[in-house]
Parts: sequence; C-alpha cells; structure tokens
Amino acid sequence: MREKLLGVFAFSAGVGILVLGLRFFNWLPLMVQVDSMREYQDVEEVKGALPIETILVPSYFPQNLSWPPSRILAQGKPFPAVVMEFEKTAGKDIMLLISQSTSEEFLPEEKIKIIDVIESVSYPVKGRNALLRVGMCQRNERCSGITWKEGEYTIHVLARSTPFELIKIAESMLR
Amino acid sequence: MNLQFSQPGCHNQLVGTHYFWHSEDMEFSALLNSYPGSYIVQSFSHSVIAAFIVEIAIKAWGIRNPAVRQRFLLVIIIFPIFSFPVYQIINPQRSSISFRLNALLDSSRWLDMELWGVVPVRYGFFLVFFLTAVIFFFQELVPILRHTYASRGSEISGERAEEHPGIAQALKDLPVEKADIFVLEDDDVVLFSTTGRKGSIYLSSGLLGVLDREQVRAAVAHEFAHVIRSRRPFLVILFLLRILMFYNPVVLMEFRRIVQEDEKICDDFAVSLTRNPLALADALRKLYVTEEEEKPGRPKNIMNEMEDLETYSHRLNILGRITRLEKGPANTGDKGWFAIVLTVVVVFVMNYFIV
Repeated sequence: MREKLLGVFAFSAGVGILVLGLRFFNWLPLMVQVDSMREYQDVEEVKGALPIETILVPSYFPQNLSWPPSRILAQGKPFPAVVMEFEKTAGKDIMLLISQSTSEEFLPEEKIKIIDVIESVSYPVKGRNALLRVGMCQRNERCSGITWKEGEYTIHVLARSTPFELIKIAESMLR
Repeated sequence: MNLQFSQPGCHNQLVGTHYFWHSEDMEFSALLNSYPGSYIVQSFSHSVIAAFIVEIAIKAWGIRNPAVRQRFLLVIIIFPIFSFPVYQIINPQRSSISFRLNALLDSSRWLDMELWGVVPVRYGFFLVFFLTAVIFFFQELVPILRHTYASRGSEISGERAEEHPGIAQALKDLPVEKADIFVLEDDDVVLFSTTGRKGSIYLSSGLLGVLDREQVRAAVAHEFAHVIRSRRPFLVILFLLRILMFYNPVVLMEFRRIVQEDEKICDDFAVSLTRNPLALADALRKLYVTEEEEKPGRPKNIMNEMEDLETYSHRLNILGRITRLEKGPANTGDKGWFAIVLTVVVVFVMNYFIV
C-alpha cells in the first residue's frame, strides 16, 4: 500500500512537470511567430502588428450592443484573419460576430451559429453580392448572418438579431 | 471608413509567385483543419502525450513485469485511434478558436509556424508522417504479407522431434504436445516457429551442435510460448488496430516496444516451464550475441548505416533480456490494474485539452 501511494505521488509529480512543459511548449510559438492567432486590445493594435491594413468595422450599432468589441482575435499566418465579438450592453452574451479573412473556409461561428437555416437568399449590400441567411441559433434564438467578398477578404457578419438590423450593420461597414 | 484593397494583379512577378505559394499553403492549412486532417494531427499529438504519461507511470510504479508493461504500452497504440472522434462527440466546439486559445497545447501554433519566415513547419510534420508510412509498409506490412503467403504454399520437411533421440530426451517433461517439433538437417543455427491451428517449431541440427541439452530445452520452451500466444486473437486485433495508425511515428516505435515485451513474456513462460532462467540466458547469448565483426571493404552509405543501427539495437535488446533473466523477474505478482486505470484517466483528461 505504501509503495502504491508513493507511486501515486511520483506519478502526480511527473504529470505536473509534463503539464508545465506543455504550457511552455504552447507558449513558445507565440514568442517566435508574432503573427499567429492571439487576442488584441483594439483594432489599431491589430493594424500595427499584422499586415492587415483595412479592418471593416460597423459605424451603425443597435443600442443593445456595447462598443468597443469585447474580444478581438487576429492572425497573419497561415492566412490573415480578424474576428471581433460584441457583447450585449447589459450582460455578457455575444450578440454580434464579425470575421474578415482571406480564407473562405474560415468562419469562427462557435459563439453565434445558425443551426437551423430558415431562409437563405442573395441580397445586394452596397453593390456587393451578399448571401443572407436567417434562422435559429443555439438556445432557440432568432439570428441571422450575411457573407460577402470584399476584395481578397471574405466577410461574415453574424448577429442575434433580425435580418433588418443585420443588414443595417453590414451596410454601415461599407462606403 | 476608407477601404483600400490590394489587387493581386498589380504585383510584380515575384509577388505573384508568392501569391501562388500562399494559396497552396492556405489549401493545405484548410486540409489540416478538416476532420481527417485534424484526426491525423491530433492522433499524433495524443499518442505523444500518452507515451509521456505511460513512461512516467512505468517509472513511478517501477513496473518491470513485461505483461503489465505491455498493457501500459497498448494505451499508446489504441487510445489515439479513438480519442479525436470521442472528444468531438463530447464537445463539437473542441476545434474552435476559443477552445484552442485556452488549450493546454494547440498543435496548430506549431504547424503554422514558419521556419526562417519561409517554410511552414507543417510540411516537416507531414514529411515525417509520410516516411513513417513508408517504413511501416516496407518493414512491417510487406514482410508479414510475404510470410503469410509463403507459409501457405510451402511445407518444410524435417525429422519429428519424437524420433530424434537427443531432442526427445531434452524435451522430456515439457508440455509441448500442443505443437509439432521438427529437426532440420542444416549446419546453420536455425530456430523458429510457425503459427496456425497447430503451430510448429523448427530447429536445426546445427543448433543442436551449439547448445547443450538444457539450453535446447529453454529455447524450445520459448518458441512454444510464441506458438501458444499466437493462438490468442488479441495480437491479430492489435496489429489490425496498429495498421490504422500507419502514419504515426510514435505508434511505430511503441509497437516495436510491445513486440520486445512479448519476447520477455515468452522468456518468462519458458522459465516457468523449465525452471532454469540461466539456461535460456546462455542460449540467447550463444545464438544472438556474436562478437562485433569488422567488415572490410563495406561501403559507408545510409543503408549500411541503418542496417548497423538495427543490428546494434537488436543486440541491445538481447543483452537486456539476458540481464533480466540473470537477475530474475521482478514484481510478477502485481497486475498493475490500479496504475493502468489511473494512467488511462490522466491520458484521457489531459489529451482533451490537446488540440
């Protein structure tokens, strides 16, 4: 029994050292490669750190959304991408998610995901051909999303709101 | 807000080439983020972590019993086959950016890293996977298929052991009636067994000239253990599972360790029959531990270097088995189930946070 307990102690110590080693191993690439996916304080910081000159930000905000974004994630490699999350004014729920990326497959929709698409139509947004989707998200909430190409970037805007609000937000991102 | 987007067509030729490379790289990156790509990457990462944890467990509890060690090593082979799909069922958002940012280890950070700002590390990883698959194919799969095919069509003829007075005397009292034993007329030292419904053991007259009666008895008992163990479907199932991880270098190495542990299990089985570990140790020494020979005129190339390395590694294994037999088996009573269960739990929990 004593040997077994000593074994448990030695095993725990070994696993603890392994966890520390893994944390270091996970941190190392962030130090070596500055343009890997990480969190930024604001849009200007992203522009300063990564070769992304233009980041689309809406100028129209419904009253229930808080500015600035609650979280900004960005990367330069393997492809440039920026994700902005906006919370509810009163609360911590993510209400709006904007992603901008040169990869068409990139869609970080874990916070707002249209699980059940009720309608999917093509819709013009200031001369751009966009795809508007309306449906139900997690927790059975109504939500909508719009996607279009802006030069080399693919823009996704997802919101827990009506499509009318979403279109207003999307249009405010463009001149 | 002022929007200005650069157009690829406006760049010069060099930048255009870079665009092409960049687009190829993006496709490869997308492949890695697909389900099969994530499966390959995460099964590899999970096997690395499992190998570390298993090694810590073996050291922490001082496990020397080969059967128990083999059970531990099985975790490294079997766990990564199922880990990724199981974790995805538990949490479909496990591959999301949010999860990755808070993970214990995000493999994509390493895969996306670029050496000297040019070559992504992921190409190096996939080169290793490809080389592992090639090694697996030529060193494991092809020899097994060839052996299976060859043993079906050919019949090896030899004198039955019962009719050979020297052998019959040596094998007296050994319960080896479950296998056919044949003596081949051959001056070379030959000892091997075949598997099947009724396995056979073959030894040569040359071997009888090298080993004494006790050593022959020990060597045959060892081969008999292989025959008995080959009847268990477990090893066949294990190999079939191992095939699924054909690209995984960790599984390649650990499977070899399992095979080595199997030799030790057969040694223990042989000793339990003969009650003479030193005879088996002496037999191993006489059969496999030859003096290092200088081979004059042998060209120095990578194939010869690899062959030398393999011979050296084989020699080390044999010496390890001899030392073990001379010292006597350790902690044979403890089946190690407590340690194994605890290890599997830690492997499962920890790898959940490795993406």
